[in-house]
Amino acid sequence: MIFKVAWRNIWRHKVRSTVVFIAIALGLWAGLFTSAFTHGMMNQKIDSVIKMEMSHFQIHKPGFREELQVKLLMNDGENIVQAIQEEKEVIGVSGRIVTMAMLGSANKNGSVRLNGINPDDESIVTGINEKLVEGEYFRGVERNPILISRKIAEKYKVKIKSKVVLTMQDMEGNIVAGAFKVVGLFDTQNGMYDELNVFVRRDDMARLLGVGNSLHEIAVLLGRHDMAESMADKYQHVYPKLEVLPWMDLSTGMRMMIEMMDTYTFIIVGIILVALLFSIVNTMLMAVLERVKEIGMLMSIGMSKTRVFMMIVVETICLTFLGAPLGILLSYGSISYFGTHGINLGDAAYADMGFSNVIYPSLEYMDYLVVSMMVIIMAVLAAIYPAIKALRLKPVEAIRKI
Amino acid sequence: MKVIETINLSKIFEGVVPVHAVNQVNLSIEDNEFTAIVGPSGSGKTTLLNMIGGLDRPTSGTIKVNQIALNELSENELINFRLKHIGFVFQSYNLIPVLSAKENAEFVMLLQNIPAKDRIARVEALLKEVGLEDKMNNRPSQLSGGQQQRVAVARALASKPDFVLADEPTANLDSKSAENLLDIMHRLNKEEGITFVFSTHDQRVIDRARRVITLEDGKIISDVIQHEN
Repeated sequence: MIFKVAWRNIWRHKVRSTVVFIAIALGLWAGLFTSAFTHGMMNQKIDSVIKMEMSHFQIHKPGFREELQVKLLMNDGENIVQAIQEEKEVIGVSGRIVTMAMLGSANKNGSVRLNGINPDDESIVTGINEKLVEGEYFRGVERNPILISRKIAEKYKVKIKSKVVLTMQDMEGNIVAGAFKVVGLFDTQNGMYDELNVFVRRDDMARLLGVGNSLHEIAVLLGRHDMAESMADKYQHVYPKLEVLPWMDLSTGMRMMIEMMDTYTFIIVGIILVALLFSIVNTMLMAVLERVKEIGMLMSIGMSKTRVFMMIVVETICLTFLGAPLGILLSYGSISYFGTHGINLGDAAYADMGFSNVIYPSLEYMDYLVVSMMVIIMAVLAAIYPAIKALRLKPVEAIRKI
Repeated sequence: MKVIETINLSKIFEGVVPVHAVNQVNLSIEDNEFTAIVGPSGSGKTTLLNMIGGLDRPTSGTIKVNQIALNELSENELINFRLKHIGFVFQSYNLIPVLSAKENAEFVMLLQNIPAKDRIARVEALLKEVGLEDKMNNRPSQLSGGQQQRVAVARALASKPDFVLADEPTANLDSKSAENLLDIMHRLNKEEGITFVFSTHDQRVIDRARRVITLEDGKIISDVIQHEN
């Protein structure tokens, strides 16, 4: 009967209750969708960081990452690459020679990160061959082919088959230069990455630098993201004189960014839930205050305080639960739709910050469960103040109210 | 047998000038009585009724209902006591607007945890008794004032209380509805021996009452048995 009374009480003011449960539904949708959006954005960023920049873990000579000194080479790099390739969980290993170089065209000069790669290995690890938007992947030119991004091509006003000059320091500290012919333009949708990186064949670069078969960097792609840390640990023990780091530690900003995004999402969802909480408290307070006489009568005829409290709590929970499933359904539908079709942010600055222009929101079932639990807790919290207000009524005074 | 007994019962409302709403009232009401407490506005009749019903606590003195001293009960014990021993009829009906006549009358029994089968049988019998067998599923808004007050009487009786306290039960009713309601309560008193205590200034109620207690300035100034049942 308490449930029946609570349920029917909600419908005493149809418009008011409808407004509240629509607010709950929209609030919940906004919270879940924001969460899914940032989640999707971060997942894509993580995928992008792993796939394009860091792989799951990398191996260097200690100190190399800080200054990219040409001398800090792993002389047995090829052997390490072969050893890691035999690991079951490993999808691909790319041994690179890396240095900062000056890229010059007829129109402009600027610094780039020059990656000397084995095209076959690199295509497995970063899939850079799949990002080509023009030209071919190290084909069509025999000597010194180079892949640059479309952004760099536009900036330096070069195109396929244009000649560019790369200038860098060799092992002895001498300035060396080589002319390279553009064979392909790539676009990874990650602005920062595209503006910095260019790719040449490792042999061509080794010849210029005079580093032979040695490597600066070994990037390893695994089958699963969650294995990165344990595998990095394992190889750190195998090669104690080298620096083996998982992607989260390689990209110093990433760990902080993930934590920041989690906090940001938490704050946004929190603000929405607090706003909803006050909206529900307000509605329930009105509902209690306009029924003072009725509640007084219920206490007069023998309804215990516990039951009065329960009646208000059940009423609040019913009100919340009318809106919550609608909000969750709305969220599920919109997240599923945009999770497939994506949200195109256009040419926004997101790409320059290393985020994709097209975001695919995603949310795990656990997140729906967590938010649902938060809504239940919020409903119970929202009920407490109005219920206490009801309990404080003295029946003898309440029944006299007009 | 004494159902209600008050000994030196007083209630003072504190304020700039303290008001002695009820002043040293000694009163006993027997089983099966049909008693009206009358008096002008501010004479203390509602306050006295509230204290007898355990809704308000006295400043001093004792109230005993079936030999149980109400002033010794805690707040929760009082609520439970009201649920089991006292039926209330209020001036403005005070039905639950979202429940039907049947559900309103049934509500008290639900609070008493009476099984559904017994509840339904009793509610139907009571609503028949007050002449509302064809209005059982109507909500208060679909009933007239008199009909609502009859539902309130059925609700007051549903818990099988020791007595029914009725605070100005006919004040909001037209004369036909008031007569009708009084007929019902009178019959319940005569045939089923239910004790009724009214606070009223309605002459129709006073005329029907077996015993009339008159209050003035919180004191009993007369206690008259008008006629035997």
